[in-house]
Formats: sequence, structure tokens, C-alpha cells
Amino acid sequence: MTVPAWYDTFTDAIAAGEPQCLACAACGDASLPPRQVCPACGSTELTAEPLSGRGTILSFTEISVTTPKFHGETPYTVVMSELDEGVVLSGQLREATAADVAIGEPVVLDTETRADGPALITFRPADAEATDTGDRDDA
Amino acid sequence: MPATIASGASTTYGDHAESSSRELFGEVALEALDSAGLTPTDLDAVYVGNFMGDLIEDQGHMGPLLADAIGAPETASVRFESACASGGATFRQAVLAIESGAADAVLAGGVELMSLADIEHVTDALANAADEMYENEQGLTFPGIYALMARRYMHEFDVSREDLAAVSVKNHANAVANPLAQFQRELTVEEVVESKPIATPLALYDACPVSDGASAVVVVSEAFAAARDLDPVASVLGTGQSSDALALHDRGSISRTPAAARAAQEAYREAGVTVNDVDVAEVHDCFTIAEVMALEALGAYDPGAGARGAVDGETAVDGSFPVNPSGGLLGKGHPVGATGIGQLVELTKQLRGVHPNQVTDAAVALAHNVGGSGASATVTILGGV
Ligand SMILES: [Zn+2]
Repeated sequence: MTVPAWYDTFTDAIAAGEPQCLACAACGDASLPPRQVCPACGSTELTAEPLSGRGTILSFTEISVTTPKFHGETPYTVVMSELDEGVVLSGQLREATAADVAIGEPVVLDTETRADGPALITFRPADAEATDTGDRDDA
Repeated sequence: MPATIASGASTTYGDHAESSSRELFGEVALEALDSAGLTPTDLDAVYVGNFMGDLIEDQGHMGPLLADAIGAPETASVRFESACASGGATFRQAVLAIESGAADAVLAGGVELMSLADIEHVTDALANAADEMYENEQGLTFPGIYALMARRYMHEFDVSREDLAAVSVKNHANAVANPLAQFQRELTVEEVVESKPIATPLALYDACPVSDGASAVVVVSEAFAAARDLDPVASVLGTGQSSDALALHDRGSISRTPAAARAAQEAYREAGVTVNDVDVAEVHDCFTIAEVMALEALGAYDPGAGARGAVDGETAVDGSFPVNPSGGLLGKGHPVGATGIGQLVELTKQLRGVHPNQVTDAAVALAHNVGGSGASATVTILGGV
């Protein structure tokens, strides 16, 4: 596939340890690139701002039936996380499985390269050793 | 100019791998025209709902292909694509063409052939309804995206997998009596919960099957129906349509479908009814969680209470708010581009009192059709004639 330049720019910045989002000068809303218009207020004054790369799990799923691109990699877990700046995005869970995580737990944004296409967005538990086992949503 | 449905027809939903889009579409279009007492040359337009023909059959530009297939090659034709809401969107465009006075008779049909491809390629084609870079390229699938919604919903509202499974049990039971339905077997809550995981917390029987099929309705103006002495099967009381950000993470909430709620409000307003006036509904239950969220978007249940519909029997055929007596997408099947039209064919049977799972005295009927994880939504309200 053809990888759009904005995506390489976004994931390259994560890999370099300097992730960025878009911030609206008018209302302060943070969003993911690429955008010309703030999704919250309609302003076109968007600037690139640093992302902490830290967030919490909003939801997650362990996927067993996938597309040809991920053939042979199941099961794998995708986490949707809300970062401290307010942007929400999804990525594959690393250094843990679905059984190890729960909604509300802290994760850290990262990325990894793939031989056959664009870089993957990933998340790993912020502190794998401090995982609380008392409040699991995963049955 | 008010619009009415002159007639409708639908194939069985299921395995038609030996057929093709032009054959399936032709079958239902010609049956609908014949039962309305019309011919292809009476049509001002042929509108086609289709989602993945480009990917599965390597066939785009389906408007002219299918208009030609029914003997109307010179009639204005176009394909509408709104993912799984393609059928609902196609019908709404037909209604708008009639209401504006631009057309007197429009064939609105939908067709999808999915079983030609293996499960990984069908999963890939369905994923085209999502954000390619931020969702698909991260390994999210269509069931995976609904699974994110389901887990979040279960977290926010203390709803169990068994509660969600009740939707599948109800709709599979309804499908048994419907000769058009793909599944003809009842399921238990236990069978649903213990079926093969596809994207946790959702399992195989939380999901609709891969289906082939076609459905069509003939939409005409009331004046045309009167002038041609037609015998319409339903009147169009109101339609609504709304959209949302394509990617699930770009919405304010992942446990609600506000586009469907907006479409419903628009349709209620145009029809001059409230949800309390609706006697029967066909809603977009591509997954068990989707029917629960649909009931809440329609205003039939408060947020977090939608699962009670199936659990308490309120959405059963003889319940207070019957939902998916056809079997729904879960039991009847989901040939994507045909689904929204097929819902309307089912509802015209309810309004005429001839449905195999007939709701007593059905006079106002509602169809809810959703594309992607909620980025496209149409709601249609029909009345008897
Ligand atoms: Zn703004």
C-alpha cells in the first residue's frame, strides 16, 4: 500500500520519542493529524504540539479473526487509549496480553516498524509490575 | 409530493455464490416491478446500494450495470455507498427524488455478494468502512471496533455478556419462521457466550454472518400511484440521515451512536410521531451490542438500559416494543448493500399483516440502518396505506 506522508511523519516522531498532536489555538482541543479544521470548534488555527505519550485504557479487544495483513499474528490485542492531552487513539498492546490489562490502567505510546507496510502504533503498560488484578473487565 | 412504496421483493439471504450481483439484483427488481404492475421503462431512475462489489467482484460502476440488467439501460442510474448503510441511504435518495418532484418512480435496490471471498478477505473488505490508517493498519477489524464499543459499554453500565447474548437468542429465534433468513436454528445464551471468540468480548454468535442477497422496493409519488391505479404497500412517513467522524476514537463517546439518534429525531419530526407511536422496528444488529445501542439511539431506552429489551422480552415479537421480527442482521443475514432495503421489505409485510412473525395491528414501522461503527445512519418511518 501507499503510506501517506503525514502518517510516516506522525509515527517517526513517536519513534524519536517526540510524539506530536494538533492543538487548536482558539479552544485548546487536541486532535490527531492530519486536519485543517478543529473538530471541536471549527477554527483553522491548528499547530503541532508535543504529546506526553502517556494515557489510560478506554477499551481493548483481543482479536482472533483478522485480515490478510495480520494473518498468522492472532490472537493480538488492540487498546484504545486516551492520552493525557485528550487525544484518543488505538494501537496494539505490547509487553502484555488482554488478560493483563483493564480499563482505566495507564499505558505508554510507542511504535514499531513492520517489513510489509507502515509502522504500527503500540501501547505498553506504564508499569507492568504494578498491575492491579482486583478490577478486571475481561471475563 | 409524498412518497409511497408500490412494492418490494427480496431474495433469501445466505449463500448465493453461484449467482452474481446482476442476477440477484435483476431477480428482485423485476419481481418488485411486476408485483407493482410496472415495467422498467416506467422508472425515472434506478438507484443501487452496494458496498464491496469493487473488492469482491472487481466490479464498480454498478448503476448502469444493474439498470441494464433489468432492461432499463437508458434510465438514469447511480450506485450509493455508505458502507453497511448503503441500502438505507439509497432508499432515502429515492424518497428525496420523489418528494422534490424530480421523479415519479424510482427503483431503490441493494445487492451484495460476500461469500465469494474467504473470511480474511471479507474481513478486509468490511474494514474499508473504517479509518484505514488509524484503525485498519493497527490491526482493528470491524468486529474489533464493535468489541471496543461493547467492552466500554459493559464497563460503563454493568451489562454482562449474557445480557448481550439475549439479543442474538431473540433474533435467531425470530429467524426460524422467516423463509428469507440465513439461519434457521435457535440458539441458547450459553451457545452464544461460548461460541468461538472473534474479538473479545464478542464471539461468533454475537456477530452477523457473511451473506449474499438482494432486495428492492419501487418508490413512487402518491400522484403517480393514483394515476396508474397502483396498490401501494406502505407510505413513507419520514426519513432521517446523519453522519459522524469516521474513526471511533474521534467521537465523544464510544458507547453511543449519536448519528443514529440524530437521524431518528429527524425522521420522527418529519413523520410527526414519537418513538411511542412505533409498533415494530427493524434495527441494525450487526453485533449484539449494536441492537442495544440502536434501541437507545431511537429513544426507546435510556442509555445503559437497552439490554433490558431482549433480556426482559420487551423486544420480542409479542413484546411492548418488537424489534427485528425478521431475525435481524444476526439471524436473517447481512448482505451489506441490500440490508437497508431488506428491512423495508420486511416492514411492508408487517404493515400489510402478512409477516411470518406478525406484530399485532402494526401501523407505524421503523427501520434503522447504520454504516461503519456509527459514522453513517439512516432512519425510515413507514405507515400503512
Ligand atoms: Zn478548536
